[in-house]
Amino acid sequence: MSIELKLSRSSRIYCPNEFLEGKIILKLNSSISHQGVRITANGTVNLQVRGGSAGVIESFYGVIKPVHIMNKSVEVKPSGKLSSGTTEISLVSISDNSNSFQIPFSMVLKEKGKDDFERFYETYHGANISIQYLITADITRGYLHKSLSATMEFIIESEKDSLYKRPMSPEMVSFYITQDTQRHPLLPELLSGRFRVTGKIPTQCSLSDPLTGELTVEASAVPIRSIDIHVLRMESILVGEKYVTETSVIQTTQVADGDGEFLFRYFCFAIYELCFVIHTWLSVPVSLQLPFSIEFQVSIVITFQSELSKLQPKADPRTPRLWLALETLPLRLFRAE
Amino acid sequence: MEFRARDYIAEEASSSLHRAPTDDHPLLLVRPSSNQVDVVELKRNDFDDPLRRQTANEKNLVADVQDAAHISKRGLFSYYYDPHISQKDWGSFKTSLMQKFPASKMVSVSSISGVIIKSAKVNEKSSTKVHIEELNDPQKFTENEVKVISRLEYVERLRELKDEIRHAWGTDDRVTSLKLSIKVAKLLMDNSVSEFYPTLFILVTEVMDMLGDMVWERIKTKAECDNNGTRICSLPDYFQSCDVCSDAKETCYNWFCKIGSIHELLPRIYLELAILHCSRFLNDQPFDSLHRLTMMMRGLADPLASAYCRVYMAHCALRLRPYDIGYLITCFRDFKIILSNIIFENDAKSGNSLENRKQLIGLLEPAIEWIMKCIFKGPCERQIEDVLMEFGLGTTPSDLCGNLKCISIVVHHLIEELPAEIVCSHVLEIIKLIEGSNDISYDQSLNFRLLGFKLYEVRPEGELLDSIIGEVLQVINEYDDLDSYLKVADAYFDIVLQCHMDSYLAMILDSISRRTCGRDINENELSSLQSIFIKLLAHHNNLDDLFVLKHFVEILDVLHGNARDVVNMHILRKATRNACICDPATIQFLFEISQALHDGIDISNMRDDHQQAVRLITHFVEKVDYGAALERHLTFLLECRGAFGRINDLKEALVHSSNYLAVKAIKDANKFSGFVKSCIAFSEVTIPSVSANMMQMNLYIETAEVALLAGLVSHADGLVDAAVSCLRDLVQADGSQVAIDIDGIALLMQRLFSLLVVLPGNPERGAVYIPKSIISFYDDKPWITPRMRTRFLCSIVSLSATLSQEKLPYHVNNEEVPGNDIIFFGDPSYHQELISISRSVLEKLIDNIQLEKHSAARGNIALEACNCILSSFKASEETLLLCSKLIEIAKSCSNPSDKYLRSTINVFDKYVSPLITKIEINITKLNILSVNCHSHHGHPLLSTMEMCTL
Repeated sequence: MSIELKLSRSSRIYCPNEFLEGKIILKLNSSISHQGVRITANGTVNLQVRGGSAGVIESFYGVIKPVHIMNKSVEVKPSGKLSSGTTEISLVSISDNSNSFQIPFSMVLKEKGKDDFERFYETYHGANISIQYLITADITRGYLHKSLSATMEFIIESEKDSLYKRPMSPEMVSFYITQDTQRHPLLPELLSGRFRVTGKIPTQCSLSDPLTGELTVEASAVPIRSIDIHVLRMESILVGEKYVTETSVIQTTQVADGDGEFLFRYFCFAIYELCFVIHTWLSVPVSLQLPFSIEFQVSIVITFQSELSKLQPKADPRTPRLWLALETLPLRLFRAE
Repeated sequence: MEFRARDYIAEEASSSLHRAPTDDHPLLLVRPSSNQVDVVELKRNDFDDPLRRQTANEKNLVADVQDAAHISKRGLFSYYYDPHISQKDWGSFKTSLMQKFPASKMVSVSSISGVIIKSAKVNEKSSTKVHIEELNDPQKFTENEVKVISRLEYVERLRELKDEIRHAWGTDDRVTSLKLSIKVAKLLMDNSVSEFYPTLFILVTEVMDMLGDMVWERIKTKAECDNNGTRICSLPDYFQSCDVCSDAKETCYNWFCKIGSIHELLPRIYLELAILHCSRFLNDQPFDSLHRLTMMMRGLADPLASAYCRVYMAHCALRLRPYDIGYLITCFRDFKIILSNIIFENDAKSGNSLENRKQLIGLLEPAIEWIMKCIFKGPCERQIEDVLMEFGLGTTPSDLCGNLKCISIVVHHLIEELPAEIVCSHVLEIIKLIEGSNDISYDQSLNFRLLGFKLYEVRPEGELLDSIIGEVLQVINEYDDLDSYLKVADAYFDIVLQCHMDSYLAMILDSISRRTCGRDINENELSSLQSIFIKLLAHHNNLDDLFVLKHFVEILDVLHGNARDVVNMHILRKATRNACICDPATIQFLFEISQALHDGIDISNMRDDHQQAVRLITHFVEKVDYGAALERHLTFLLECRGAFGRINDLKEALVHSSNYLAVKAIKDANKFSGFVKSCIAFSEVTIPSVSANMMQMNLYIETAEVALLAGLVSHADGLVDAAVSCLRDLVQADGSQVAIDIDGIALLMQRLFSLLVVLPGNPERGAVYIPKSIISFYDDKPWITPRMRTRFLCSIVSLSATLSQEKLPYHVNNEEVPGNDIIFFGDPSYHQELISISRSVLEKLIDNIQLEKHSAARGNIALEACNCILSSFKASEETLLLCSKLIEIAKSCSNPSDKYLRSTINVFDKYVSPLITKIEINITKLNILSVNCHSHHGHPLLSTMEMCTL
């Protein structure tokens, strides 16, 4: 006796205005009677505070009570009996030695006509915040029998018409990095020798597009070993009166490989273009209606050639070091058609 | 037993063919029919040149391999592959790259290439959860030691990795495949392998291509099959992204995402390039990514890595067939920046020695070549114009060259790739371009040289050509360096010569002579000079035209060593092509040249070119003709003998020449005796130094003939004696000597006998003194075959029979020399002597023939002997018995229907018939007459007809 859920899409991705469709697959040894077959869709926001800027007390509370953002239930089958002979619900017999039933279902996620006040959040799994949608099939079978149930996650993505129109030319922001823009101590030879890296990077980026920008190393007294772009994610949760923020690196991409020796002499006026693709599941467009926020940043990190760096091989790229120069800019990620 | 009387004139008349006068020369009129040509061609093709055959095979092999590779892919995307432009070229590029950098056995490897050094420990866990990020080796920057492993080991390890990737893919463990591929791509980050880098590049790109093909196939399968793997549709070759189902698209997109999230730049680029052609599933305009990739490559600072990365891009982009080559142009622009940084960098500041930089440029050169090739691979004309603009051609060149400094190695490959017609139409700008580029990457003069060769293909005309040559000469005139000057001059020499630009020719020669005077010439310069001289010689038909050229001889004198020999040989070849060489100055010049050649010949080591030199000198001596100045000619021969003492073949030529002079003098009655004697004396003195006995003997006989012709009987006697002693030496030489030419000896002997017919016998020594003495040393030599001995014995019989005639078949064409028929006329003891020697010979004949082991040969020689007897003797019991025995032998050995046997029996029947008193015998069976025809050793001018009358 087993119960299984199968959604109509293998990707399990649905838009709020679409029908969530699928099948309940039952395998029964004998016919059973039940008090109804129900499909329930749930959406919750789970928040968790740990580390980051949270204090001891907040950490103590740990998990904040989940916020429900969706709860919809549909009866697919009124109470009755399920047996091999019951044609009304069994559609196809799949296997030979046990009776299998497929019960198709379909449910509306967002009812039309209702005002759009209820906003759907996209599925999101972060470090401290997750927005999850689950679908559950239940077969209740009275007192003496254990009810059958199966649960699976489905993914919500914003519907097409609410997507942003892709801007014709992405909005670019110019920046420059010199020894003067750095707020942390630098190698003495960097301070005396000067360096200057300028560039352009978009302030917003569609999730399906590469993040493309330009970088020009105009001068540097110390050879550059590497230039990396980090995409940072900042999850903020309102705890009491203040936001607790947790920042994590979700992608790091090298855009210039200097190998110490050559970079400067050969690429004084080169333009670097960066390209990377952010994994879809890691990020969502964000609104701030709930007591949390999710933001992104892009950070340009220049690693200079230095003997010192060898002493501390694996460092958090966000930690300012003597041989690093950084620039961090906000980045808005969105889903476009 | 009695000799048969012969009427040679009647015999000749009866057996010679009917002759009719003809108006046309039968040989002159032969037209080269197509048939004949075919035969010649066919023979050429049949000629089995082992070297050429091999290369042909190799080519086939390579082609086969490529075909196979092509076929395996054809099913998938034949549309992508134009086999002519992409795969084949790429294949040959790879081969040339491998050949160009045969890396040393050991490869130094930095720790980046950990995957190679560490023992093959591959994570077999097929856990898809392993993130690619984990691959980022945190140790990368901590270790910088350089390790050394053997090249073979490296290649072997890479091969293993490739197999592992394929294996993992086969077991549906695509994540491992990708992980390993990334590791392989990372190997290219290691530039410490230097010389090995090109090889490494090839090996790595092979892995990348394999991965790319596997991904392509997977996505295509996804697009064509449903979830259960059944094929539901097939994508057309020219499919569009809308033909592809979303499932396949998603997989494809995931691949790009996965590869996009590789941290390191270089492997990320390589892998994206590897699957670049798959972007067709997502996008109908996949070319945009090429531009992005070009920009991304700018982040690679290492010149080697970035150059080869661009090569791979150009290769991968060909699969997309982009209509726009803008990305390549950008690539090239970046390339030029890299190069100019290397080239114009300050030695002291960078600590990078000139040597290192040149080595680096050498490693980069194939990349320049390949990208240049891709740029000019079939763009339309308008695009070519655009490309040319990029290089500063096609517009006003002076402006562009000013701000865009060109790099000579780039210019080199540009000229190389440009079609000759375009080179020609932009030639003046190109000259400016070459002029403006003079740096360490490539020798400027070699660019001029290349331009010269390109121009030679098109041959511009008139004024343009004039200004081109003028311009080039002006530029190279600035060169102090002889080598560079020569290299350029050599390239333009053909054009200058063919267009008869005499003033430029004079200018070049003048410049060369100015640069060569008073200094040593090195090997390179020698070979350039050699080439120039050969071109000069090839162009001029007459040597005299060359001698009048200013500086010609002067520059020639500068040459030395092998180059000098080669040029000298060319000069000699040119000179001996004429019918004769008459001008004393020319002769003197050629003599000096020959002397120089001769001095360079190493007798102990006769290489092929030395043989050729010997032949040429000999030829030259033969062709010399002083006309009426016979004494001068003889003096010349004397000089030659002194000068070319080490050449054996030449002595033969000298003897022939002096005999020729003697005959010429004999004809010219005024200058008789004294000069002829000195000629003969010259020959007599020269012959003993000829090393081959057979040749000596031949020359002795020839000289004896000349002496007889001059009436110098005692000289002739002496010479014949010398010939006989030569023959003795020959015969007595150890039979084990393989080189002994038995037939040749037999022929020489017969030739000697035919001379004996006219040589006046010496009554004191007896008529048959010479044959007797020959018999004495001919016996008891076990190595002499029965066949040869039979021939010899028959010759003696024929000689005796001829000498017994009342009228000899021929006489010396000199009244002062009496024939033997006159000297011994009616002398019975003379006849007796002849009969007795014949009898003693005949006694040995049968036994000797029986010794021949081979039955067919035995039959043949029996018939020969029989014919000889039949033609020599009158029918008698004795001879009949002998002949029937011989015929029996022949019958037992050969087929009864054998023609020779039949005709011999026929003659024999007539012979025995008492009714027929005069027997006609086929004259061709008469050895004695055919002897002279056999001797092909004779001097061509000294024909037998001249001294003999039949």
